[in-house]
Amino acid sequence: MTDSVANTPHRTPFSHSGWQIWPGLLLGLGLVVLVLMGIGSLLATAGNLDFEAVFSSKYLRRVIGFTVWQASLSVVLSLLIAIPVARAMARYQRFPGRRWLLRLMELSLVLPTIVAVSGLIGVYGRQGWFTALLNEGLPGHGWSLYGLNGILLAHVFFNGPLAARIMLQALEAIPAPRMRAASQLGLSGWWLWRAVQWPALKPVLPGLAALVFTLCFTSFAIIMTLGGGPSATTLEVAIYQALRFEFDFSQAALLAIIQLLICGGLWWLVFRQRINTSLMPNRQLGYQAPLFCQVWQPWLEGALLIGFALFLVVPLLAIALRGLPVLLPLSDTPSVYPQLLSATGRSLMIAIPAGVGSVVVALLSLASANRLRGHWQGVLPTLTGYLPLIVPPLVLGTGLFILLRPSLGNSAQGWMLVSLINGLMAVPFVIQVLQGPLSGMDANTLRQADQLGIFGWYRWRWLYWPQLRQPMALALAYGTALSLGDFGVIALFGSPGQPTLPVLLYQQLGSYRVAEAAGTGLWLLLLLITVFTSLSRVSRPAAVTAPASLSQLAPEAGHA
Amino acid sequence: MLEIDRLEFRYPEQTTPWHFHFQVEAGECLAIQGPSGSGKSTLLSLIAGFLQPEAGRVLWQGQPIHKTKPWQRPITSVFQEHNLFEHLDVLTNIGLGIHPGVKLAAADQQRIDSALAKAGLDGFGNRMPGELSGGQRQRVALLRAILRQQPILLLDEPMTGLDMDTRQVLYAMLNDEKARGATLLLVSHDEEDRRTLADRHWNL
Repeated sequence: MTDSVANTPHRTPFSHSGWQIWPGLLLGLGLVVLVLMGIGSLLATAGNLDFEAVFSSKYLRRVIGFTVWQASLSVVLSLLIAIPVARAMARYQRFPGRRWLLRLMELSLVLPTIVAVSGLIGVYGRQGWFTALLNEGLPGHGWSLYGLNGILLAHVFFNGPLAARIMLQALEAIPAPRMRAASQLGLSGWWLWRAVQWPALKPVLPGLAALVFTLCFTSFAIIMTLGGGPSATTLEVAIYQALRFEFDFSQAALLAIIQLLICGGLWWLVFRQRINTSLMPNRQLGYQAPLFCQVWQPWLEGALLIGFALFLVVPLLAIALRGLPVLLPLSDTPSVYPQLLSATGRSLMIAIPAGVGSVVVALLSLASANRLRGHWQGVLPTLTGYLPLIVPPLVLGTGLFILLRPSLGNSAQGWMLVSLINGLMAVPFVIQVLQGPLSGMDANTLRQADQLGIFGWYRWRWLYWPQLRQPMALALAYGTALSLGDFGVIALFGSPGQPTLPVLLYQQLGSYRVAEAAGTGLWLLLLLITVFTSLSRVSRPAAVTAPASLSQLAPEAGHA
Repeated sequence: MLEIDRLEFRYPEQTTPWHFHFQVEAGECLAIQGPSGSGKSTLLSLIAGFLQPEAGRVLWQGQPIHKTKPWQRPITSVFQEHNLFEHLDVLTNIGLGIHPGVKLAAADQQRIDSALAKAGLDGFGNRMPGELSGGQRQRVALLRAILRQQPILLLDEPMTGLDMDTRQVLYAMLNDEKARGATLLLVSHDEEDRRTLADRHWNL
């Protein structure tokens, strides 16, 4: 398209539109092929497919039933907690600790499940603080963390803050004049909800519910650690057991197909309604108006926020308090560092390539999907953003494993596989981070760039890069953190003798070395925080100078 | 009389604060002029109580109102857009202006109906804002503002983007309010708006 323009004197590198279309398209195609091959190779190894056997098996029927049941309950509970929290956070724009609460809510997306679980055990487990309190006040209460209780608690711990965060963003994106009209008219309670808040939340709810459902449906580490037996098993765990212990490939493939059908069907429903699936509307907060409230309301909502903050903080505190003595070399127990450091090395070797890969794949997919919007081929790069959510990573990994088995000699290759799958699994979340800034480039800027002949590499360099380098650093942090916390894929391919940090933690939890587990948990937590702070620091100085160079090109860019 | 008494405000990134000081008589329309970014909309937000001033007072009939909440002030605002609640029909949108829980007496119901008819919106009560044109939506917004019967109307670019016929209807509605004794503050880029409505100008 650029070559025909008369006043484009320079040949811009990568300015052909194919550079934006093909890589993302091929990646999407590759992912679909990978999934098909994964399932296909399982089926080929298994021989034949027998759906009837699944539905006549009482065990499998129960697994499917329980998976759906716990996921539905988790969605309902998470949303029920998230709605009042988001409303309260939207109402009170200024209270001490609000920023920290927001950070804490963001952390839930990347907090490794296994770390959170160790914290939850420290609070609600048999020897936990909460349980101790309960024993004091209510002897014979019969509380046990293990089973449905623990699964729901952990799922709400992860998804409640995620949901509240997304809803808060939706509430903050309400146009200021509308909020001001509501303020002036003195709307409160039901009418505030009906006139202003519900209309703002309605578009994000289906996508949000589908996301939480999918995350809980495919939950693995939580079920493994808190499930407490075969009565509380999900499909993902059943697939793991079929693969790792029973070597029943056909059952694994069947279960994987069932999982794909249920979650895929759900997302198809969401998409068919043409509902906005962008979970993170990239809006900056304006100056909101104060809202009418009853006298008791600040007390009630304050108590709610304090309770919610405690719910999030106390498990982390449990990790920190129990882990600190282990990490500090004051104790007389043998040092945990040799084990920790080698596990950290392995974890980083897997996580950093996974993070970089996920950002690259996400950018290429987004570019391609934007470019192909309206064409049927556009489905392929869009799929890259959703398929990893619903495809069991174990299936993907096993398929690849069987395919590559003859050449998979050493553990290094196994780790490359883990890294690859981790990267793919992170893509949906990374895409959510990058989507807003990438498609948020306003039409005026793009029109000016067209007129000035800024295409290809130059457009990326001068228009997108300054806007994107901060989100990209954040996305890289997300991708790396998700892989650092991965337990599912590594559980299948890793060898117990060479654990990554989450595997080490799982082993310690499994052998009741609670103190060491707390040390490892805290270490992993600190590692994550280091990743996030260092990446946000790297990207900050440039972000200050970027708008200046951008504004020379396009005065309107400031409003983007 | 509405008195803006040495009001000061600045946004966090702003070094020197804005100063506002003027008076408007009841039944008068004051047009506020100034280049964009000079704080016109901010001034209206301060008067309405959406923003808190750093210093200074707002008085209505001699009573200070700058410490009260937006819903307690004798003020109604009309903005350029997003005045209406998109998911509620026209009747409910107007009804919310009369009572924040839409508890309407029969007389209120009648007032709404006759006002709709007068504004050329007969039978539009059950429509959703999304089904109306821009001009019709602004008429509904202005109707709600008028039926609230507050003595002060703050108009922040209420006619921008509307055609001449619609403007004439809105001018007539606003002039009626002025004749009834309402105090108007108008921010508008449009010469015609100011000439038709304003009695006086104040430059920022």
